[in-house]
Amino acid sequence: MIKKIYLDPYIFIGISLLAMVGVLILFSASEGDTTIVFKQSIYVVLGLILFLFVSQPDPDIYRRFSPLILFGTLVLVFIAYFFGPEINGARRWIRLFGFSFQPSELLKISLPLFLASFLFDKKLPINAKQTAISIFFILACFLSVYIQPDLGTGLLIAASGFLVLFLAGLSWVFIGITIAAILIFSPFIWNNLLEPFQRDRIWTLFNPESDPYGSGWNIIQSKIAIGSGGFFGKGYGEGSQTHLNFLPETQTDFIFSVLAEEFGFIGVLLLLFLYALVLLRTFYLAVNARDRFCRLVIGGFIFTFGFNVMINLAMVIGLIPVVGMPLPFFSRGGTSLLSIFLMFGIITSMSTHKKFIPK
Amino acid sequence: MDFHERQLERQSFTQRSLLVASLLLIFIVVILFRTFSLQISNFTEFDKASLDNRTYSVPVQPLRGKILDRNGEVISENIATFDLVTTPRDVKDVDEFLEKIEKIIDLDKDEIDLYIKNFNSKAFFNRELVLKKNLSEIEIARFEVRGFEHKEAFVGKRFRRVSRYDEIFSHVLGYTGSARENNLDEQNRFRSNSWRDAVFSYANGLIEGKAGLEKTYNQSLTGTFGIKQFEVDARGRLVKELSYTPPINGENILTTLDIDAQKVAANQLGKRKGSIVVVDVETGGIVAIYSYPTFSVNKMANGISQLDYEDLINDPDKPFFDRSVAGRYPPASTIKPLVGIHALNRGQISWTTKIDDPGFFELPEDGRIFRSWGEIAHGLINLNQALIRSSNTYFFNLAYNSGINELADDFEKFGFGSTVCVDCILEDGGLVPRPQWKMNNLNFGWFKGDTVNIGVGQGYISATPIQLAHYTAALANKGTKKPLFLNNSLSGKIPSSEIELENFNQRDWRLLHKAMESVVESDYGTARRIRDQKDFLIAAKTGTGEIISLDSREEYERIREDQGLRDHAIIVAFAPAEKPKYAVSVIIENGESGGSVAGPVALNTLKELLKE
Repeated sequence: MIKKIYLDPYIFIGISLLAMVGVLILFSASEGDTTIVFKQSIYVVLGLILFLFVSQPDPDIYRRFSPLILFGTLVLVFIAYFFGPEINGARRWIRLFGFSFQPSELLKISLPLFLASFLFDKKLPINAKQTAISIFFILACFLSVYIQPDLGTGLLIAASGFLVLFLAGLSWVFIGITIAAILIFSPFIWNNLLEPFQRDRIWTLFNPESDPYGSGWNIIQSKIAIGSGGFFGKGYGEGSQTHLNFLPETQTDFIFSVLAEEFGFIGVLLLLFLYALVLLRTFYLAVNARDRFCRLVIGGFIFTFGFNVMINLAMVIGLIPVVGMPLPFFSRGGTSLLSIFLMFGIITSMSTHKKFIPK
Repeated sequence: MDFHERQLERQSFTQRSLLVASLLLIFIVVILFRTFSLQISNFTEFDKASLDNRTYSVPVQPLRGKILDRNGEVISENIATFDLVTTPRDVKDVDEFLEKIEKIIDLDKDEIDLYIKNFNSKAFFNRELVLKKNLSEIEIARFEVRGFEHKEAFVGKRFRRVSRYDEIFSHVLGYTGSARENNLDEQNRFRSNSWRDAVFSYANGLIEGKAGLEKTYNQSLTGTFGIKQFEVDARGRLVKELSYTPPINGENILTTLDIDAQKVAANQLGKRKGSIVVVDVETGGIVAIYSYPTFSVNKMANGISQLDYEDLINDPDKPFFDRSVAGRYPPASTIKPLVGIHALNRGQISWTTKIDDPGFFELPEDGRIFRSWGEIAHGLINLNQALIRSSNTYFFNLAYNSGINELADDFEKFGFGSTVCVDCILEDGGLVPRPQWKMNNLNFGWFKGDTVNIGVGQGYISATPIQLAHYTAALANKGTKKPLFLNNSLSGKIPSSEIELENFNQRDWRLLHKAMESVVESDYGTARRIRDQKDFLIAAKTGTGEIISLDSREEYERIREDQGLRDHAIIVAFAPAEKPKYAVSVIIENGESGGSVAGPVALNTLKELLKE
């Protein structure tokens, strides 16, 4: 017997619209490949079901099970790394019944959940020991993904962890010291920790014309696609940059360029409006959440999501280096889509359940 | 946590969230601004870049215009053949490829050598390369049957640039050869790499005029390339044809040349080194212009073996050298009418002034002797007689009593010392010497004897056959000078000019023409040998160009053993004498006698032109 369905209409409508527009753009980006679009649509439907399902339980369940969830996710990540197939030089997938599954995407959910459940009852500001423990988990999660290798996802996971830590009340002294240290050691990082192709990407960003057919190609073609869209766009399915293959990775990282080419500035405004709607609503929900745990989780989730979107956009319009980061709701990929629905499901659960306050 | 702490925590969370949110907001604003800049501010630039990306324009070669003679008869044209065309970029191993092809189609050694020689350069540009021209029907059939095995070769209809007269028009016509795309005026219309995919009409791919009329009028002969515009994808694969603008074939050029006259001229000169130039006196159009030795234009344009080419280049008689426009010869006695005009105009003499010709001229300053041809004494003679008999002494006298600068001024008025043809190629201006020239070039002062020599067209003066024809036409036109030309469309467009001779009137011109007629008609005339072979009157002046200066007849008999040192035979003439239509100059190197050797050549060519 279901007495009540827990649902936030703004979020539900916002993400449903985004997912639908996403499928529409993917249809064009994949040259009308019905197999890809059908598969993606299935994921959208599955995602909505998952979303509704995880919205229903009381958030305390997530708090209690968060260590187990994180542990489970990490196990899956390592299974993928040690036993999964190698695709394009990376081992991040698990194959099951013909479906590929990318467990590292789930870390964006399980890591903030775990950190929030660890920090929700700690005194302000977070002390050194708690900070160290948090950073240990963040680094562990980051490294587990970084070695696959998948820098983009790894950074996003680390960001989700740090965001929770920051929102929970990380000491400003610690933040100041860290920023100073990063500034001092950045030349060392540039020279020793970055792979040559990563350095190339950063270098190319500032000077794409230096290698128009090599590492500069993607950025140049993406800018041409977006720029030539103009105000109204070239029309759905009419983007020459997209359909004549000048634009790379149209179904994944550069799908925003497809939208911008075919729907122009109007399309970009509409897209940003939808994202802003979802972001503003969840921001409101975070601030008004029923307890600290929910606040931290919703905050960690939504800011990670926001940065994910902004980094992808900034990347394809040539503001930051290409790091391999899909656009939520748009880029092809089932795990990413499901994890986003999962995330919004948890957010809905946390914002719709009233807290029973013991006397 | 107590209530107060919870309040603090919530406050802290809200503040920190706002901080992160404002970071995101800044991000959004920057992204919006940047997208606006790409899509709105710089739309035009990116729109063009996207168009450039997806379209690819390929040039389509036009056919060259024909070169026609003045009657519209074809001299040079394009002939279609079926050729075995290959695409070098698809050929991996030349030897292996040729071996395969040879099983189906016979290839001779020249064809293989030429192919291998051109293979690398063509493969670099990814152009077509014709392996065998002019396939027979059997060869085509045999290839088509097995064609599927050779994707790097196909049978294509290709044109060749061919002159119907392989050797007689060589110098004036010129020939075509391979063009590099960066030589073309068209280069700006196409991206440089699009030339490798050009649609060719010619077996030789891109061609351009390398010499003669083919070069002078290359641009209008070439025409305008057509454009095939394709939509391409990022890999450069052609998706579909978007548009086709057909090429505009080159314009035909109607020349002033006359095929029949040229044939006769070439035939008359035969295998003797020299030149013949015939000019239409009324217009200045060049009717015939021939220089021997010559070469095959069709071989030059369509493939000449390395050996043949080296033979041509190394031939001591220089077949590529166009004697008609660039050969420098002493004008010799053909200059005498001009020296006569000069002296009459200055009032130095009249038609009745008689001068004694003892067979030689003694320079009063130092007693140096200037001998006449054959050292014949003509006695007391006037200008008329001096011209008919070609007395040297008479003209030594006239030159002696004038000055070098005065003589040079009048020579230049008649076109000597400068080019006379507006659309000839590599034309030489000859030389009208002046004291300053001698000082600059020979580092020697001018002697009176130098002036005396120039009175008979010897010494430092030199002229080209085309200058002599131009000068003769001016004589025929009684002082109206017309620049020469080859393109009939220039007819009437080049202004002619009257040569300024204050004291030389119509009567003088009539007498001069009469004297030149008598060169042929008189019993004493130096060209009397051709007198009885015609039914119209010719006015002429012969000349014998000395290659080395000698003092006596005996000495000449000695050096004569060496054919290369024999005198040049020269004649200039115009006809019909009463109402001149054509002027001609003939030079036969080492031909010795202007009248009896060069004379018949001039006569027979004029006969062909004047026949009813």
